[in-house]
Amino acid sequence: MNIDLSRRGFLRLAGAGVAATSLGALGFGEAEAAEAAHVRAFKLATTTETRNTCPYCSVACGIIMYSKGDVKAGETAELLHIEGDVDHPTNRGTLCPKGAALKDFVLAPTRLTQPRVRRPGSDRFEEISWEEALDGIARAIKDDRDQNFIATNDAGVTVNRWTTAGFLAASATTNETAWLTYKTVRSMGIVGFDNQARV
Amino acid sequence: MNTQIQPDPSAIGGVPKAPLAFLPSPAKLFATRAERFDFLADHGGNVAPYLRFLGALTGIQARLAGELPAADPLPADRIETARAHRMPPIDRAEMATDAGLYATLDRFLDLAAQIEMPEPARIALQAVKAAPIADRHWLLENVLADRIPDDSAAAHLFVAAAVQLHLSRIAATLPADKLVPIRTGICPSCGGRPATSSVVGIGALDGARYATCSCCTTQWNEVRLTCLCCGSTKGISYRSVETIEATVRAEVCSECDYWVKVLYQNRNHSLEPIADDVASLGLDLMMKDTDKTRGGFNPFLIGY
Repeated sequence: MNIDLSRRGFLRLAGAGVAATSLGALGFGEAEAAEAAHVRAFKLATTTETRNTCPYCSVACGIIMYSKGDVKAGETAELLHIEGDVDHPTNRGTLCPKGAALKDFVLAPTRLTQPRVRRPGSDRFEEISWEEALDGIARAIKDDRDQNFIATNDAGVTVNRWTTAGFLAASATTNETAWLTYKTVRSMGIVGFDNQARV
Repeated sequence: MNTQIQPDPSAIGGVPKAPLAFLPSPAKLFATRAERFDFLADHGGNVAPYLRFLGALTGIQARLAGELPAADPLPADRIETARAHRMPPIDRAEMATDAGLYATLDRFLDLAAQIEMPEPARIALQAVKAAPIADRHWLLENVLADRIPDDSAAAHLFVAAAVQLHLSRIAATLPADKLVPIRTGICPSCGGRPATSSVVGIGALDGARYATCSCCTTQWNEVRLTCLCCGSTKGISYRSVETIEATVRAEVCSECDYWVKVLYQNRNHSLEPIADDVASLGLDLMMKDTDKTRGGFNPFLIGY
């Protein structure tokens, strides 16, 4: 619509002219200036809240993780608190006792942060590199499978099963990861197997 | 023994489902808000004079909400049509010519003239009181479109308070179960914008977020960690003044560079979506120095 400029001008005048904020326009400019001076001494603190999935079991409850600092802005983040995600359809904000203790799980001093091995005959674990760990696992899997793979049963029917090794995979995974895990493990013939795709 | 063990699923408890909207009870809502404004003003701070003034204005909203006859409910077919097309049932553009709104505005301005206020505020109030119908229409149109010119915030503030009163009384008559979510950051009752959002601490809903409409005061459910301006969930982070323990934070979106305040009512039940928005002016002042823009709309905080 056409705005009557004289009318607008009048109401502008009524608002003490040049003031750009509500407080200024209504005559509370002093209070506003005092507050501005007051906050000058403070800094803005950054926190983040991040959605994730509880890694414990295949129910895959939604969680919100509270941290100090923002990783996306190149800062380091320090985990402060974890709680159930109210918006998540699976758990609607609730968590089981294990899930409720997730923060201690993340920050546990005994938490495993790199691969370790207890060699035959040894009484302790020793830390090894990922390279060494994966090579070792591949070697052990290959040897065990070569030795124990069952191609046919007593009646001569092809069964292609490998019963001497089992596989347990994580729950906090995507459908795609679950699918890949399933195909990889089952195609080797492993029977004892559990992962998120079961649910 | 004749004890039969039967499964009792009721003991497991239901899965709480957050209702889409809490409609206002205007008299109670404005009374609570006025009390909160007064409390915040009593507890010092530099903004106390402004909080005292808004407390008095909100007191008038509360008084009129009790005195005015109940608003006529919207026609049922209008609500059905809005629902079918995922639109808010209250048509705010149409409200600019609503006779009831003009009558409410008149009564509100009369009572507002009785409260204490600085001279510039009084001049603005008198200008609105004296404004002919065409001018009032212009003011109402602006307020009902969440569009307040920076240079006439004072005149619009009085009109916005009257609009809140009128629209909340109409929103109170809506059937809450007939509302539909429209879009992130849009009020399902009137299509208005949120002033702030609050993480509530009500029983089974503890941790759910409700945005508060700056126009009709409806509170509606919004998924947390979501930008109320653009709907993105990608780059959300929070800013607070000095301490990470703050219960009022700015929810910042790095996708659209806007921010909206979040009030953690689950940690402080007294927080009030509008009163504490004004009382936390310090956060607005600090955020003004960043490259982000305030996205929450509050007619009492124009210019931030």
